Amino acid sequence: MSETIERRHGLEAFVAATESVGGARVEIDVLTGRGFLNLRLDPRKGNGLETAARALNQPLPLTANTFTTGEHRVYWCGPDEWLIETDEERATRLGSDLAKALADCHAAINDVSSGHVALGIAGEDARTVLAKGCTLDLDPREFGPGQCARTGLAKATVLLAVADDAAGYTVIVARSFADYLCRWLANAARPHGVRFPVP
Amino acid sequence: MLLIDCPWCGSRAETEFSYGGEAGIVRPADPDALSDAEWADYLFNRTNPRGAHRELWNHAQGCRRWFGVERDTVTYRIARSFTLPDAAGAADGGVERDFETGDPTDAEPGDRR
Amino acid sequence: MTGAQPNRLPTGGRVDRSRPLGFRFDGNALQGFAGDTLASALIANDVQLVGRSFKLRRPRGIVGSGAEEPNAILQIGEGATAQPNLRATQVPLRDGLVARTTRGWPGVRFDVGAINDTFGRLLGAGFYYKTFMYPRAWWKLYEHAIRRSAGFGAAPTAPDPDCYEHMNAHCDVLVAGGGPAGLMAALTAAKSGARVILADEQNEFGGGLLACTDQVDGAPAAEWVAAVVDELGDCADCTLLPRSTVFGYHDHNFLTIAERCRDHPDGSADAFSATNRPAAGDDSTAGRQHDPRNGRTAKGPDDHPDSGAAAGHHQDTVQPVKERLWRIRARQVVLAQGSFERPLVFCNNDRPGVMLASAVSTWINRYAVLPGRRAVVFTNNDSAYRAALDLTEAGAEVAAVVDSRRGGAGELGRKALDLGIPVLQGHVVSDVAGRQRVSGASIARWAGDGWATVKPTMRIDCDLVVMSGGYSPAVHLHSQAGGQLDWDESQLGFLPAKSVQANVSAGAGNGKSSLAECLADGVRAGAETVSKLGLEPSPIEAPAAGNIDENPIEALWRVPAVRDADRCPKQFIDFQNDTSVADIKLAVREGYRNVEHVKRYTALGFGTDQGKLGNINGMAVLADILGKSIPEVGTTTFRPAYTPVSFGVGAGESVGELYEPVRKTAIHEWHEAAGAPMEVVGQWHRPWYFPRDGEDMHAAVARECLAVRNSVGIMDASTLGKIDAAGPDVVEFLERIYTHDVGLMKVGRCAYGIMLGEDGMLMDDGVMARRGEHRFYLTTTTGGAANVLDWLEKWLQTEWPELQVYLTSLTEHYSTIAVAGPHSRRVLDKLGCDIALDNESFPFMRMKPATLAGIPVTLFRVSFSGELAYEINIENSLALAMWEKLMDAGREFEITPYGTETMHVLRAEKGYVIVGQDTDGSVTPVDLGMNRLLSNEKDFLGKRSLRRPDCLREDRKQLVGLLSSDARTVLPEGTQLIDEAGSLARGHRRAKRPAWRGSQLGHRSREPIPMCGHVTSSYQSACLGHPIALALVAGGQSRKGATIHAALPGRDPLPVEIVAPVFYDAGGQRQHV
Ligand SMILES: [Zn+2]
Repeated sequence: MSETIERRHGLEAFVAATESVGGARVEIDVLTGRGFLNLRLDPRKGNGLETAARALNQPLPLTANTFTTGEHRVYWCGPDEWLIETDEERATRLGSDLAKALADCHAAINDVSSGHVALGIAGEDARTVLAKGCTLDLDPREFGPGQCARTGLAKATVLLAVADDAAGYTVIVARSFADYLCRWLANAARPHGVRFPVP
Repeated sequence: MLLIDCPWCGSRAETEFSYGGEAGIVRPADPDALSDAEWADYLFNRTNPRGAHRELWNHAQGCRRWFGVERDTVTYRIARSFTLPDAAGAADGGVERDFETGDPTDAEPGDRR
Repeated sequence: MTGAQPNRLPTGGRVDRSRPLGFRFDGNALQGFAGDTLASALIANDVQLVGRSFKLRRPRGIVGSGAEEPNAILQIGEGATAQPNLRATQVPLRDGLVARTTRGWPGVRFDVGAINDTFGRLLGAGFYYKTFMYPRAWWKLYEHAIRRSAGFGAAPTAPDPDCYEHMNAHCDVLVAGGGPAGLMAALTAAKSGARVILADEQNEFGGGLLACTDQVDGAPAAEWVAAVVDELGDCADCTLLPRSTVFGYHDHNFLTIAERCRDHPDGSADAFSATNRPAAGDDSTAGRQHDPRNGRTAKGPDDHPDSGAAAGHHQDTVQPVKERLWRIRARQVVLAQGSFERPLVFCNNDRPGVMLASAVSTWINRYAVLPGRRAVVFTNNDSAYRAALDLTEAGAEVAAVVDSRRGGAGELGRKALDLGIPVLQGHVVSDVAGRQRVSGASIARWAGDGWATVKPTMRIDCDLVVMSGGYSPAVHLHSQAGGQLDWDESQLGFLPAKSVQANVSAGAGNGKSSLAECLADGVRAGAETVSKLGLEPSPIEAPAAGNIDENPIEALWRVPAVRDADRCPKQFIDFQNDTSVADIKLAVREGYRNVEHVKRYTALGFGTDQGKLGNINGMAVLADILGKSIPEVGTTTFRPAYTPVSFGVGAGESVGELYEPVRKTAIHEWHEAAGAPMEVVGQWHRPWYFPRDGEDMHAAVARECLAVRNSVGIMDASTLGKIDAAGPDVVEFLERIYTHDVGLMKVGRCAYGIMLGEDGMLMDDGVMARRGEHRFYLTTTTGGAANVLDWLEKWLQTEWPELQVYLTSLTEHYSTIAVAGPHSRRVLDKLGCDIALDNESFPFMRMKPATLAGIPVTLFRVSFSGELAYEINIENSLALAMWEKLMDAGREFEITPYGTETMHVLRAEKGYVIVGQDTDGSVTPVDLGMNRLLSNEKDFLGKRSLRRPDCLREDRKQLVGLLSSDARTVLPEGTQLIDEAGSLARGHRRAKRPAWRGSQLGHRSREPIPMCGHVTSSYQSACLGHPIALALVAGGQSRKGATIHAALPGRDPLPVEIVAPVFYDAGGQRQHV
């Protein structure tokens, strides 16, 4: 029965009410269809790291502020914490697979798909708009492809990642803050012309 | 606004952190064995030095790790950040930052280019 | 001269005579040119009077030409966009600008304030403290009258419609100041490969070079500036910020800059993009299209080469940014902010027409305006001779240069003599004549003693007195950064000494006086900073500039007068604050010695001045009076902001709906559509109540309460904090955190848990559930969610790293829907639940995974209302759908959505506390009667504190219930409780004078009345039909049945009965059915 229910991210009304302008130099996209798993694991103990990598079919990043790509995106969130971004439909299954594989390790896997909203921020002024609310140095030499950071954006906490093609950013924000953050982004981007692609 | 070195994430603005008070306060193993005065000392008394102060910070908007910082309470100059001992009792080395350049001292000058 | 602008020179300057700009000043229509500041345009129109002084109401004119200007503090604009207290010297003229004097009530020309002047001795130093502190009640009257007559500018009359923003930036080298030293430092750093930001407060880069007649590298200075700015613009990593004041130097090389994006001559307003594009708007400052000297943001992160088109495309809808706050983290900083010329301290030195020499040169050379026709130049150093030469060149007559030095000036002095300018060496100007404008200067011989009395030897008629007391380096930022200052006796100024942060000073701000020295010092500073960054300094040589031979400055702090300082006409040190030599003498006489105290007593350096003009003169006079040296007296502390900053730019985007994050649950839009007013809890917006047509809150809450008690209600409880705790040591960890025996909980059981701070005070509470042998699900209060998680992590990471436990926040993943009331089970049954819900299969305080309406959920049989109830945890993306299904299924039971208010009433009827409402960080679980939750079998955080003597006091405030004796009055929360009403009456009899006017009890008594507690929660209970209250009362738990009194505003104390804090279903049967 749940298959018949449309999943909501909560920003539907906001996006629908937002007018886009032509010649926009910033594009804000609500990325749907994403699932998220939170993984806690001590990489120094036992073989949890390898086990998890096998289950995911890709390595967990051990370098701070980086992420790995492959079937999923695995973001480094802390020395024993990762956020796994995958397809919405796969999240539950992947979560239980991981849990099974890591049953003998001290690990915690939680499905947090509904707890996050992913936004794509692209366009030639994307970096300038983010810099209005983020204290990180976003210069590509400091923060380039493959890099991510949990940090502040405006008055919200976000996971900020450089898009694979380096042409934009992914902003992952806690769901209850998503509406605020979208309004903030729309406001900050307004002088640059902003577009909300309709899916 | 301070620039604080998270031992894991690197230099971040103070706004990403929360303050946790003086470092090195150890919870008594057997509180019941303590007199009221001894317990009050653990509870309320802090060194509050003028000068070097070892204190706890939490990278609340980042990796959520608690770590130590040695900060001068007069100049606010941060001498170093350090990780706390883990279960094995060993602390990682921590990050020393050159105050003049803001670089970690073990980094090559200008190496990011 | 231009007809409409009598003081405008026919040629020269950096104004565009083809672009006249109309503006209004105090209602008069005037005209200036593009490239003018408001101040230069006023001088062009021969406006002498720009305000009245703050305290003495003396007429005042323009003194300086930059940030130091103390008098021309004007109100710019009208209505909502009015900006009070801007310095006319820093306001670029634009078409249609409206300015008025702020110190002019009832009119700048009407001399009402002369009375203050006449009786000025009554308004000496410390006049606020002395005159107006007593009687205290009169202070408001005094203050009102003084402020009105002094005029502080008027606040805007409506919310600011303009748009402001913040911008974070990082760089290797931030250069503050774009004069000769700053330009060379920036060029050197940029050419060496550093990321550079160059900020300058003026419309154009160049600083003093724009106002001088010197040659640099064989070209006129301004042309050289243009070439350098061009070159910087071509550097890949250089950002140029004109119109941008570096106003704060904070910890760890964090600096703040205020950029005025819309200071354009034609009033054009630029969006961020437009600000940075090298197109018309920016470069039209002096009418030079594509002339990069006006500064554009160069290539770099903020470059938008084709933004013009885009900006134009949505011009109608896009509001341009007015001001931008740059928050910059710089690895190195070069401070090149130049220096301030000091006034000389002689009688009536504040008369309109007395100006700084550097300002006069600026008016003539940069703005092509002539501030006077016949001038007397008064100096103790060589630099003022430049003004004399400039005046002569521009066609004015210099009646005399009065130089206190017997030896006079060097090369410039010879030039003056060549032009036939009379030079009086070893003389001073002791006084000036004229009230609304100078008309003459009295000259006296200078014998070297500032405190002697002198007889003027001659009087010279003039309409302009030019003064120079030497230069003070602008050390504000260096000092803000914590750097030290050293007194330099040869230059008579404080120079930047040891830096505490990563900064170096350069140029005039570093004590360099000649142009050649400043240029070379800029190169040095640039090279020094890039070397510290590990870069190879680019081999740049300082351009050639003339070095002229100068004679040294001579100290001249107080100029002697006909009488001693207390009785001679006022000799002003700080024009803006009306601080005179006599005021400093008075302060010393009254016992003030420390410079910081004297500053506060005399207001020296207050206001927008912040020590720019008067500081050194004031300290020198103080040192003189105290018989100390200037370094012994020292200087006051410089603090941000260097120049005033608007509230708008400080707030940035954080206004209106963006002021604070609004956290919304997944069901929020349903609540909104239902018309529920929101209650703000932390940052969450929660539905407060759900009014039906015409209902007020009282009626809605009563209806919602009865629905839950009699049928079924539904509430969005999603904001509660939720934490997954997992790991082999999780039981041990939670035993240490919670007060109850966690280990005794079986899998699938729920428990109400509380956690204490180490001080034994209740910190947070919530239901916890054991999901597995090594896995728990914890809930926290809405407001405590983040703090509790941090607190738990702190113990795990810092104190007990050996415990293997992982905590993961699930607050954002799950919605929690509470279905409460006798019919709640039937609603769930109707929806289709895959587990048996009867009381035997799923009893109270159990949790089970289940499928509801085909959707996986976790069901908790818990209750915060005392009724049969279920809490449904469901992932957020399906929560709204589930809520709607529940509403459908519950229709036949008239399922009633309820908000936080009803939740509060229901829980208060049951005596359940709300952490933070019924507790305040000083309440133990024993105070709350929660002893049964405290395990005797183990230690837990805060347990030891419960044995502290203070926690064992029998008269601690304890939680009780209260019933109003009249069964009608809902006690206001916070109401103070007193033991006996009689104590009020007794106090009344003893009171001799009525006092405490306006306070609640004041008309009855001025005696303190002992209070025994206060009301923490209070509601009208719909199902009981009378009010109920929870309160903290001293020794309350042993006083049940006693009557105490509630002190109510405007009426007699109300007797209230102390009862047990459970008003409804004391046995708790209803939740177990
Ligand atoms: Zn970190």
